[in-house]
Amino acid sequence: MPRKTRPVAIVGVGQTRHSSHREDVNQPELIHEAVRRAIDDAGVSLDDIDAVVTGNMEMFEGTHQPDMWQVLGNGAWGKPCLRVSTGGTTGATVFGAADNLVASGLHDVVLAIGFEKQQEGHTTGGITAMADPLWARHLQTGALTGMAALEVIDEFGHERARRAAMRYRVIMDQHAAKNPNAHRRFNLSFDMIDDLMQKSPPLVGELRLIHMCSQSDGAGAMIFASAERAAAINRRPPVWVQDHVTVHREETLSLSGVPTYDAHGKLETTTQRRAAEILFARNGIARPSEEIDVFEMYDPSAWWGLSWIRDFLLLEGDEHLQMVERGDIAIEGRFPINPSGGVTATNPIGATALLRPLEAALQIRGDAGAHQVPRTVRKALASGFGGTLWTVLMLLSKEKPDA
Amino acid sequence: MPPKPLSEELIHREHMARFPQRWSTGPVMGKFLKALRDEKRIMANVCPRCGRSQVPPREVCAVCRVAATQFEEVGPAGTLRNFDVVYYASPDPVTGQSREVPYATAYVELDGAKGGATFWHELHETDMTKLRRGLRVRAVFEEDGKRTGAITDIKYFEIIEGEA
Amino acid sequence: MAAESDAFVVEGTFALPYNYFAGRVGSTWLVALRDEQKIYGVRHPQTGKVFVPPRQVDEKDFTDLTGDWVEVGPEGRVTGFTVIRYREPYQPLPVPFGLALIQLDGADTSIVHVVRGEDLGQLSVGRRVRAVFARERKATILDIAHFAPV
Repeated sequence: MPRKTRPVAIVGVGQTRHSSHREDVNQPELIHEAVRRAIDDAGVSLDDIDAVVTGNMEMFEGTHQPDMWQVLGNGAWGKPCLRVSTGGTTGATVFGAADNLVASGLHDVVLAIGFEKQQEGHTTGGITAMADPLWARHLQTGALTGMAALEVIDEFGHERARRAAMRYRVIMDQHAAKNPNAHRRFNLSFDMIDDLMQKSPPLVGELRLIHMCSQSDGAGAMIFASAERAAAINRRPPVWVQDHVTVHREETLSLSGVPTYDAHGKLETTTQRRAAEILFARNGIARPSEEIDVFEMYDPSAWWGLSWIRDFLLLEGDEHLQMVERGDIAIEGRFPINPSGGVTATNPIGATALLRPLEAALQIRGDAGAHQVPRTVRKALASGFGGTLWTVLMLLSKEKPDA
Repeated sequence: MPPKPLSEELIHREHMARFPQRWSTGPVMGKFLKALRDEKRIMANVCPRCGRSQVPPREVCAVCRVAATQFEEVGPAGTLRNFDVVYYASPDPVTGQSREVPYATAYVELDGAKGGATFWHELHETDMTKLRRGLRVRAVFEEDGKRTGAITDIKYFEIIEGEA
Repeated sequence: MAAESDAFVVEGTFALPYNYFAGRVGSTWLVALRDEQKIYGVRHPQTGKVFVPPRQVDEKDFTDLTGDWVEVGPEGRVTGFTVIRYREPYQPLPVPFGLALIQLDGADTSIVHVVRGEDLGQLSVGRRVRAVFARERKATILDIAHFAPV
């Protein structure tokens, strides 16, 4: 079982207002906004930062080695800087790398940055470029697929499944309405569900326009520190990084989650469920839906968001649909999911998976303002998704973990 | 000098990044593509440890991480495990053109493939209401003389009528 | 078994459209090239360092630089160079030309640009050069067509 050399705290966070109208800034300037806010939030100076980890998917902006240019605004001048790129999980891998750097003792204070300027490139084309040119690229349609929807519909019935997915979407939008940094807010309400189910243009299968994630310009930054430095910095309550795990399936040519079998003939699970099994087992969490207070989930579409509730919380049957139908996942509900509005509202891809633990940290601090969940948050869960169906699952804690 | 006001006009520069690429198929994918072209056969490779098939084949078993050197023919028929009906075709970033919609893509578990591996290709069907998981489908190859050693040497899959 | 002889090469193209934003600071600079035929820099309020092209903040201390714009050039000195003589589809400029770092009069940083006009074999560090503006200008770096030795 992996052990950290020493505990790591998040001492400051910052993000831009995510938008599709950021022609007023170039890459370093966009990043600078988030970095400046994180530094101010932590109350540190550039001298306090020992190293920088930064990530984005450079295919979206078409700038090679962007970390070199970004030094103009990201605070990395004269410091060790690591660049990370793992598709949609980039921000979460940035998170994990920064945590590992401090946990290892190599650095005491690390600045983690994720960003993207989707507007400068072609999002679908950029994603499609990841497909194998010899057998997949001619078929790939970016991140659009209706297969997740088809699986939920086949399992729970056409009407119930579609209604639950739309209900999930409305709840996410209602959360986004309370988040001043969210990109898209449509003012959806539950009485619109029937209409949306009929009229939102279908993209692929039962994946409709309204279900699908945003394409945003934005950046997020988080500052990680050792316990000793966190105590000295001490401007905000520290949020502790309890654990994180990355699970990926090497591209096994079966993107839909169609059952495949491992070397022992055992049915393979999704990366979401595998990550949850590992993370909760090694942190002694037996009933995640009761022991976790809030979950910022990377939900690229309302269908995946709905479906993965079951995997991440190790539920069975239709418990996840029931949670959505009862409104448990609302900010004021029993198990709030994405109080920030999640990825369907805001998606600057290189930042998105960093914004999940960032928002989770705000919840633990009690700092999320209008989208704060109305309870003491002791344990927060955050997930990243991307690459070839990778999952990164992160556990944050109000209390300092035992070393 | 008096402060210079920042520009109201925001400058953009459009640029098409375009460059040629040359991919080596490698021996394994090369063998697979040549079998499509020369023999109209779909070749999977099989892991000597767990027995899983991989199609298209790859050098190493994704699960066991050992060399998978044994090849076996699979298909040309199979079972539709999942599919997509695409209503919105993203325009080609270069040409701006879109495929005609709706069109369908399929994940097919080819007959003889072990371990549940599915093969991704186009599904040719005009009546999308027919599509459901579990249908029997088969590969339709490009005619002799027109196959080039590309994945499109299989034109598409089609539903096998009358088989449930 | 698959053999090395089974491998072959497939040709393709990578192509994606991009749309780069100069940002407000960059736009100010480019618009001045186009409309005023002047080259500006921004000056650090404490250290007095003049950055050309301008940027929003000093990368070392995050000081806002956008409050103090100064005109620089149009002459300057070469601080580094190489002479490009090869043609290639992705190298868009007619050859030969000097690819040079040029520190404009009044600037503390050098910009990268093109030197044309004389026997490029005589180009040297320290050589004085002057900006030659293009007749048709579009708010790009090539609104300065090239630099010419003085």
